[in-house]
Amino acid sequence: MRKWSFILIAAMLWLVSCTGRKVHDLSGVKGVEDLRGYRVAVSMGSSYDLMLSEIDGVDVIRLGVGELLVAVEKGRADFCIIDQIQARMLNLESRGLEIKFNNILKGTACAGFRKDDSLLCSRFNGYLRDAKSSGEYDRWLNEWKTASDSMADASLLVHRHEKQSGRRSLHVGITITYPYLFLKENNLTGIEVDMFNRFCDAAGYSVDYEIYDFSALIPALNSGKIDVILSHMRRTEERARQVLFSDPYVEGGGAAVCRSNDGIGMTERAGLWDRIKESFKNNLVVEQRWKLMADGLWVTIQISVLSLLAAVMAGVLMCRMRMSRKRVVSSPMGIVIDLLRGIPLLVILMIMFYVIFASSRITGTWVTVMSFGLYYGAYFSEVFRTGMESVDRGQWEAGFALGLGKFQTFSKVVLPQAMNRIIPVLKGEVIALIKMTSVVGYVAVVDLTKASDIIRARTLDAFFPLILVSVVYIVLSWLTGSGLKALERQLTPKSRDL
Amino acid sequence: MIKVKHLKKVFRTPGGDELTVLRDINCDIEKGEVVSVIGPSGTGKSTLLRCLNRLEEPTSGVIEVDGTDILDRGTDINLIRRKMGMVFQNFNLFEHLTILDNLTLCPMTLLGKKRAEAEERGMELLGMVGLHDKAGCLPGELSGGQKQRAAIARCLAMEPEIILFDEPTSALDPTMVSEVLAVIRHLANQGMTMCIVSHEMQFVRDVSTRILFLNDGIVYEEGTPEQIFENPRKPATRAFINRIRSLESVFENRYFDLYGLFGKIHTFCSKYGLGTKVTDKVEHITEEMLCGIMPFGSPVKMTLEYSEKTSGITMTFREENTEGCILDATGEDSLSLMMVRGMSSSVTEPEKGTVFIEIQG
Repeated sequence: MRKWSFILIAAMLWLVSCTGRKVHDLSGVKGVEDLRGYRVAVSMGSSYDLMLSEIDGVDVIRLGVGELLVAVEKGRADFCIIDQIQARMLNLESRGLEIKFNNILKGTACAGFRKDDSLLCSRFNGYLRDAKSSGEYDRWLNEWKTASDSMADASLLVHRHEKQSGRRSLHVGITITYPYLFLKENNLTGIEVDMFNRFCDAAGYSVDYEIYDFSALIPALNSGKIDVILSHMRRTEERARQVLFSDPYVEGGGAAVCRSNDGIGMTERAGLWDRIKESFKNNLVVEQRWKLMADGLWVTIQISVLSLLAAVMAGVLMCRMRMSRKRVVSSPMGIVIDLLRGIPLLVILMIMFYVIFASSRITGTWVTVMSFGLYYGAYFSEVFRTGMESVDRGQWEAGFALGLGKFQTFSKVVLPQAMNRIIPVLKGEVIALIKMTSVVGYVAVVDLTKASDIIRARTLDAFFPLILVSVVYIVLSWLTGSGLKALERQLTPKSRDL
Repeated sequence: MIKVKHLKKVFRTPGGDELTVLRDINCDIEKGEVVSVIGPSGTGKSTLLRCLNRLEEPTSGVIEVDGTDILDRGTDINLIRRKMGMVFQNFNLFEHLTILDNLTLCPMTLLGKKRAEAEERGMELLGMVGLHDKAGCLPGELSGGQKQRAAIARCLAMEPEIILFDEPTSALDPTMVSEVLAVIRHLANQGMTMCIVSHEMQFVRDVSTRILFLNDGIVYEEGTPEQIFENPRKPATRAFINRIRSLESVFENRYFDLYGLFGKIHTFCSKYGLGTKVTDKVEHITEEMLCGIMPFGSPVKMTLEYSEKTSGITMTFREENTEGCILDATGEDSLSLMMVRGMSSSVTEPEKGTVFIEIQG
């Protein structure tokens, strides 16, 4: 048995090692058409994705923004395409990478509005026209373009927008895209944020920014979750069918990044310890990124606790209905429980967010708590039911016969015994719930996992944030597990000396 | 104290059929009485007991406790139950509490006793049932007999006016039965009002002041232990008290399957531990009676009865529409009749057409 598992692990390691790719000769590549035959990493749902998918022979892999550079570094892709301003600002040489060519899909970004919201769109266009004609537009754009590489003063540059009561609040969906929209010292900043803040002040709106996945922006707009897409989005025919685009505001284009000829980056030359120190600094210390992680952790804890409470309450209610003697109540509840347990949690979450609560302004956090409450409530209710049913009918009867009422018998006799059987089973479910909260990024909640995604999108370093996040989840699970274990010990009946 | 009038209980089986367990029960229990309920299994003894404190909801009828109709909607059954202790077949001690906590939970919750007061009374009661040193144990650490004694003490902690015992020794190892019965006997001697459902006949006879014999959903016979055990008036009571087992067969004519019948007799006899000698006698008598003596003017019904209590065997051969006395018609010089007389202790014909034979086991 042990021998076989050894062979299995060896085979898996071999497979993993095979996923690395040989570096091809890249010298002949001058433009997009030459990418045929190469493997190119792009951000999923981006315009580069759409463009390359149309060209036959290009092996496109779709990744999150944070993984693009890593894919090239590790040789999993020959090229990746990222924004050219971002590419210029990143210290590519230190990672053994270089820009092969620029101006891919050169174009201009537009803000997106709902089709029926032409009033807002024309106001925005009007603002752009005025700013351009008065020269204000060129002035602040230049400030950004000449800002230093590290964007040390980015937080000073951005136009501070003060919230004022009584104004209509615009919900703006964004994707973290350096240097247009990014977090610095835990504040949202960037060229587009700067511009939009100025617009809102001039036009008399309040503004709320919500972080979405790029691919989720258009559904969020059309379901009414957000009013504006401000995410360095280019106008394409396909998108224009669903979104009303504004006049263009900033120019941009993509850069194809590949390994430089010497092939080895400085970071790879450095020792392991130095690399870890460097990663630690980049991902946590610089721009106070640890604050983002800390906020994310706090959100994860909040969501976990609230969801757990909701799930326990829903579970109790469902269990009560499921165990009802009335068929009209118990059998529909059985079906509901089976349905809830039959749909993946992520799908339930998306249905709740984009369909059921599409038109309401309820935040992703509450939608998450409700979805988790329902989904885990269904699981908990079955755990509660088996726990309750494991207590002998005679225990109820003994309580009744002594004169205890229904509730007293339940609380003093049956529940303590059921809890002994419920807690050990529930422990696994609770830990699963905490880990499962990592999907809430899909509904615009910045939890621990999403925070690490945002940092990865900025530092383009996959390793460190992911490992760090794993460690934090392990600690959370362990703490929860040992807390429940202590509770379990507390509830175990003990004989005493008298 | 308790009056039961026209109590009826119908169970609905999962298949939707109705099963009438109690048809029409009328009885009462006075203060200071020890009333035992006996009867064949499946006659609803436990159901009757469980109706008295409404663990089972009666289908119809009236149950009055101290003049209050407990089936009335307005009655707080929990208050009634405090005065009526119940001891279960499976003890039903609260598994998560120590023995002492089992005794103090309800007095503290329902009677408003302080912990110290409840524990003092609890220890006193545990001392009475001989479990003083087990007070801190969990129920799981006790033997069956100890658990049942603890359960009795738990009832007493509520200071009840009556205790209902639902087969208190049925789930016990035979070695532990007597310790539990001793505790119940002690309570009876102290004048506690009790209603007991039990299969321990000797105990029931010793301890009861009155016995209800339940059969076929009614109180079939009722009386003092002497009446019921020494002199039962009705056949089902008699059969039950003497623990009579019977085998019945009906034969249309002489051409029946004799060897098939022998097989049945053999099975019956070996089931109740009757020796080969007795079995042979029964078989021979059967053969002589059916093949020689009975005239078969009409179908013949044969009944073989064995009393476990007296070890006596009786055989009855009965034929309707017979002309005159069968034994007279056969004649005393008949070889068959002589053989039957030789093998039995008495052969009589108490009424025309019925031959009654007794065999000493």
